[in-house]
Amino acid sequence: MHKKLLCLGITLITILFSSTLLAQTSDVKGKVADESGVPVAGASIVIKGQTAGVTSDASGLFTLPNSSGKQIVITAVGYESLQIIARNNLQVTLKTDTRLLSEVVVTGFGGATIKRELTGNIARVKSKEIEYLPTPTVDQALQGRAAGVFVNAQSGKLGQAVTVRVRGNSSISASSQPLYVLDGVPITTQSQSSYGGAMNPLADLNQNDIESIEVLKDASAGAIYGSRAANGVVLITTKKGKAGRTNVSFNLQNGYSEATKRLPMLNSQQYAELILEAAKYSDDKEGIPYNDPYSYTTYVKNDVMDYYSYGEWSKDPNKTYDWQDAVFQKGAYKQADLQIRGGTDKTKFFSSFQHLDQTGTIIGNSLVRSAGRINLDQKANDWLDLGVSMSISRTLNRRLPDDNAFSNPLQAIALNPMTPFNDPKTGLPAGTPPGDLNIPLYYNPVISVQYAKFTQEVFRTFGNSYLKAKLMKGLTFQTEFGMDYLSQNEEGYFRSETVRNQTSAARGSGTNTGTFITNYNTNSYFNYNYAGKKHNLSTTLGMQYQQSQAKYNSTSGTDFPSNSYTKIASAATKSGGSSSQSDFRFLSYFLRANYSFMDKYIVAASGRLDASSRFGKDARQGFFPALSAGWIMTNEKFLSNIDFLSFLKLRASYGIVGNAEIGNFPQLGLYSGDAGYAGNAGQRPSQLRNDSLRWETTKQADFGIDFGLFNNRITGEIDYYEKKTSGLLLTVNIPATTGFTSIVKNVGKLENKGYEFVLNTQNLIGSFKWTTNINLALNKGKVTDIQGQIIQGGVSNMNRVEQGYNVGVFYTPEFAGVDPNNGDALFYKNTKLADGKLDRATTNNYSEAQRIVVGDPNPDLIFGFTNNFSYKGFDLSVFFNGVSGNQNNIYGMGRYSSASMLYEDNNTADQLQRWQKPGDVTNIPQVRLYYTNGSQASSRYIVDGSYVRLRNVTFGYNIDGKVLRKYKIEKMRLYLSAQNLLTFTKYPYWDPEVNADSFDSNIAKGNDFYTPPQPRTLLAGINISF
Amino acid sequence: MMKNSIQMKKASYIILAAWTVFSIVGCEKRLDILPYQSISADKALENESDVNVTLIGAYDGVQSAPVYGGDIMVLNDLIGNSANINFTGTFAGLKDAYQTIMTADNSFASGTWISAYNTINRCNSVLSALDKVTSSPDRKNSVEGQALFLRASMYFELVRLFAKTIGDGDAASNPGVPLVLTVTKGVSSADNLPRASVKAVYDQVIADLTKAESLLPATNTIYATKWAAAAQLSRVHLMLKNYAAAGDAANRVITGSGKKLNPDFTKLWFTFINNGGANPDEYLFAITVTAQDGTNSLNTYFGRNVGITGTNGRSDCKIKAAHIALYETGDVRKTYFALSGGNNYTRKHLDRYGNVPVIRLAEMYLTRAEANFRNSTSVGAAPLSDVNAIRNRVGLPSLTTVTLDDITKERYLELAFEGHNLHEAKRLQKSVGANAWNSPKLILPIPQREMDVNKSLVQNSGY
Repeated sequence: MHKKLLCLGITLITILFSSTLLAQTSDVKGKVADESGVPVAGASIVIKGQTAGVTSDASGLFTLPNSSGKQIVITAVGYESLQIIARNNLQVTLKTDTRLLSEVVVTGFGGATIKRELTGNIARVKSKEIEYLPTPTVDQALQGRAAGVFVNAQSGKLGQAVTVRVRGNSSISASSQPLYVLDGVPITTQSQSSYGGAMNPLADLNQNDIESIEVLKDASAGAIYGSRAANGVVLITTKKGKAGRTNVSFNLQNGYSEATKRLPMLNSQQYAELILEAAKYSDDKEGIPYNDPYSYTTYVKNDVMDYYSYGEWSKDPNKTYDWQDAVFQKGAYKQADLQIRGGTDKTKFFSSFQHLDQTGTIIGNSLVRSAGRINLDQKANDWLDLGVSMSISRTLNRRLPDDNAFSNPLQAIALNPMTPFNDPKTGLPAGTPPGDLNIPLYYNPVISVQYAKFTQEVFRTFGNSYLKAKLMKGLTFQTEFGMDYLSQNEEGYFRSETVRNQTSAARGSGTNTGTFITNYNTNSYFNYNYAGKKHNLSTTLGMQYQQSQAKYNSTSGTDFPSNSYTKIASAATKSGGSSSQSDFRFLSYFLRANYSFMDKYIVAASGRLDASSRFGKDARQGFFPALSAGWIMTNEKFLSNIDFLSFLKLRASYGIVGNAEIGNFPQLGLYSGDAGYAGNAGQRPSQLRNDSLRWETTKQADFGIDFGLFNNRITGEIDYYEKKTSGLLLTVNIPATTGFTSIVKNVGKLENKGYEFVLNTQNLIGSFKWTTNINLALNKGKVTDIQGQIIQGGVSNMNRVEQGYNVGVFYTPEFAGVDPNNGDALFYKNTKLADGKLDRATTNNYSEAQRIVVGDPNPDLIFGFTNNFSYKGFDLSVFFNGVSGNQNNIYGMGRYSSASMLYEDNNTADQLQRWQKPGDVTNIPQVRLYYTNGSQASSRYIVDGSYVRLRNVTFGYNIDGKVLRKYKIEKMRLYLSAQNLLTFTKYPYWDPEVNADSFDSNIAKGNDFYTPPQPRTLLAGINISF
Repeated sequence: MMKNSIQMKKASYIILAAWTVFSIVGCEKRLDILPYQSISADKALENESDVNVTLIGAYDGVQSAPVYGGDIMVLNDLIGNSANINFTGTFAGLKDAYQTIMTADNSFASGTWISAYNTINRCNSVLSALDKVTSSPDRKNSVEGQALFLRASMYFELVRLFAKTIGDGDAASNPGVPLVLTVTKGVSSADNLPRASVKAVYDQVIADLTKAESLLPATNTIYATKWAAAAQLSRVHLMLKNYAAAGDAANRVITGSGKKLNPDFTKLWFTFINNGGANPDEYLFAITVTAQDGTNSLNTYFGRNVGITGTNGRSDCKIKAAHIALYETGDVRKTYFALSGGNNYTRKHLDRYGNVPVIRLAEMYLTRAEANFRNSTSVGAAPLSDVNAIRNRVGLPSLTTVTLDDITKERYLELAFEGHNLHEAKRLQKSVGANAWNSPKLILPIPQREMDVNKSLVQNSGY
């Protein structure tokens, strides 16, 4: 009789190790447990030199016949093997195997492979690396952990959307985000926000529930997800129960966060100096005497500096206010986690509870999450297993407006430094009625924090249940039904005080929006595994059907009896209302086979047939095949004598995957019923049809070497890949004279090529341990064909798709500095000359300057660098990550705030270096009020966005076990953790890791628009288990 | 295990069967789903009701902010009336227009272009399905007339904004704008149309408006009437310096519409705050704005919260004192400004949900006066009496004699900040600031995005 582990991925391995007992006497009984005392089931125990042995049961117990006094070998997947002399009542403690080659990697649809036998490229992130990090979403936790996976948090606003790119950007108009699959269910990850920037639905997942994350990067790993794998697939597996004593773990952490940077702005004196100088220029230019009541100078003195300071400026010109002080705050971070894990050989469970309460580093931003989970696995009888994993959560987010809103708190830096935070007469925030509504210069965003509120409350259920039947030896059938239910309510109320910003709020304004997304998924598949002495085979055949239905409704109202009423029931005018729905469906069949011979030669093939409601009727179905092979050279005789080389494998893969994330119904010719006028319903032509519209096709080849040196103390991977994407789904611009601005078509090609390096070293072993993990990836993206289409986006349409360049490069005239003679901003003409070269002559006439590619928001190089140290009870982890070779666009703020005093906006301190008199050599043009001088879109505002960040430092101490056991505590760890402690960068504004939510699209990256920086979080934690 | 094998086999058959069923249920028909808020273009115009709602859709098009929602008027005043406005707004596209330093990617120029052609396609969609309107010949005429009026209005605005004006070179060879007169069902290289000549565009506009005037009913609630078409036609002819035709069209409106000048000038605005959202009788055509639908862009940029509930705006367009000084003492219009925060704002556009007047009756009097004066005729009335009608209504004494300057000055003051001044300057060949009436800086650029996708287009000079 053999026992099986329930953990699906390990089934095959278990069978390999399982074997019939030989009837013998003088048995040895013993127990196998891990370092924390949790029993290890399925461990193989054999007498050294023999092949037959026994396996431990769910409680870790085993009986090995006729072995007393003999050397026995104990091995278990995921643990270091151990040799020991057998004696009765043997207590064996296995150490977790930190050498990565023996890890089990999840490959989807019940598949699992030991890392050393993998022929595709899959990066694995373990729970330990991301547990208890102060990042609210799991995608952010991936940052720097997996080679070739680029993560940009975009904004310091809590729970907002994050950019994730696996091996570069492989699309232009379709989504480039990977597919996320949680316990077998493709989950909803598109933002459902109706206010402010895009949100991240992954915020509803408690990342401490995660056992492992596998990122399927190459085509051979991804092809089983067919038309949805071109951007990579992220498989998230949650923790399962373990047989044995129930383990209760409680973790509490408490801390605070602050913005990573403040920006140097002009103070009152400096501001006055610059704006008066700018006004003087404009007066001179128009021949107006400075003391004329209509002169710029008079305007600036009376109507700007004095007016916006409530008359304070003329009394005390030195009084100054840094508006960043009014909008940044110290945010609290509190989190409690309880995890209970245990089970018997029949029933295993994992359950968790979490409460997270976080306030943002920007005023008015907070996030509260409560989440619970139960994962149950039941052995119904000896051929049927069943189980369920289920989590429920509530996430309550108090939102900030989008970056391009006057009520975005960071836009307060535009306010004059002489404007006091509070109206001196009323003591209320400047601009609050009954005070003067038109002070400050722009709307004071503090008013919206005080007198308005917008919350997003999400109830989320992730669930998946399965039945798994053993049909015959090696053959199982599994059927799963999963659901991801997202129920969201967004509620906003804007009191009358906010009327300057919310023009509809003269007597109060409220909105209420509901979003209900029901996403069903069913997987059914056979797995067949054969393990022989020489031949090993594992195959999967199955089908998947997914159906997503999204329903939306909203109401809004104005004219409330008073600010005490905030629900639309009280609104005298129901100013708006809507309901809508959008669905999509996928039907797929898939096949996968892995074969290995002599543990040396491995080949794998997979394919998927995909059909979707998103494609045109002439292109309904696509086939996505992949092939891969591996050669474990160290198992060959000719390499077995090289001592230092413990492992060497060559692998190669090639396959075709697709991208179907273009939204719903892009293929149909449509009229829309949203064209009413003055209370009468109307319709309009809204979309042109395309019957041949289909997925984008990515062909990817990957060549890799996996190696282990010095008994695998050093392991690593080197990969080279080429991804060629064709049939790009483009929203192609067409002449607007047709009545349409674009049509979706499969045109164009792009490619990504790159290298990935992974190195894991155990530098010191023994009582002082030191390990290092480095991952580094170089990617070069290039658009090879867009058939002359012009595709642009971002701030002032400066991001562009240009043939021969990466997606979304910055395309704008080139700034040539300042004319020392007159202070004029200069631009290179860059007109194409007869010989094909560019005319490098300069001009002060902006319209004479041609646009060229001046930067790229996509990094050339990304890396993560982790060092872990431990000594006795102490442990220290230091994690850096960084990006290099990318540029950011600061024009969003620069056109107002680094703009040579074009407007009344406060300017950045660097504007003090402006040109003042003939002969001055500087890069800051002469200040000119209302006369544009260099503040046009140009390369002046495209700046280096590279950075290296000390992403996390955690220092922990495990209190000695002897002391604890007195209190029946198994383990107690105290730790200090710092997130984003240091940033090394040349970036002039707040945070180089940025992308403004108001402009974000696939091609509009690297834009900064008064975007809040990342928080620096410091926290202390305690973890107790008993 | 042996004793379970029969049971196991049974179960496996059951599961296999279940899986097979599942596969059939999940057949491809499940993938044939349609959107909910949109319908297939093939099924959108099947009966009269469908045509009616498409016509409403065309009004929704002209209502959009970049066209008659008000941006066209705002651009007109910011470019053509800059001496009287202190523009302090932050929209770069408007600021550049105000300073006449526009570039080809000016967002307001491209917004107007895109919205106008989008509306034209909606009109063409209506015109493509006129045979479905079968309830009565009158109804069919009305539908056709409205679609033609809206389409002609858009072409008229496009050719005035994006091409050289009449009298600046040869209209028959000056490039106007592309003419699209059929609905778009698909797109091909044939859609890369060149610019039709200025004359060709005007000819089409006149043909459409003339036909519309003959087809449209005399009353039609807030929708286009015969008089709206005639009034627009009088504008077109005035622009073309066809003074007799302009005066005749204006005269038809004054005598035929039965509409009267409102005795109280100040009752012409605040349609939402004071008039329940209804147009004053004097509006010949206006865009209706409600709390639920539509934007008044003139309010957006000229408006301001001046303490009256329902007033709002960005306070971008501050009216200079020099402008107010142009009005005579006693002129009601001289006091039709709100002083707030040390600056003057016109009261015409303070109402957040105020309707956007496109043509008022007062303009017809002034057009008739100018046409008659220039042709030394007195079709309908003598120029002096028409000018005095406008003067008396705002509390000014009658003039005894009238000159062309009197007429155009009265026209300027009466219609100030209603989106006339750029075309008035071009028509009267007056400089705007440092720019001569025919300066390329006073012509909007063909949008860069359009130049990029359609190589048959020729850019205006200076861009």
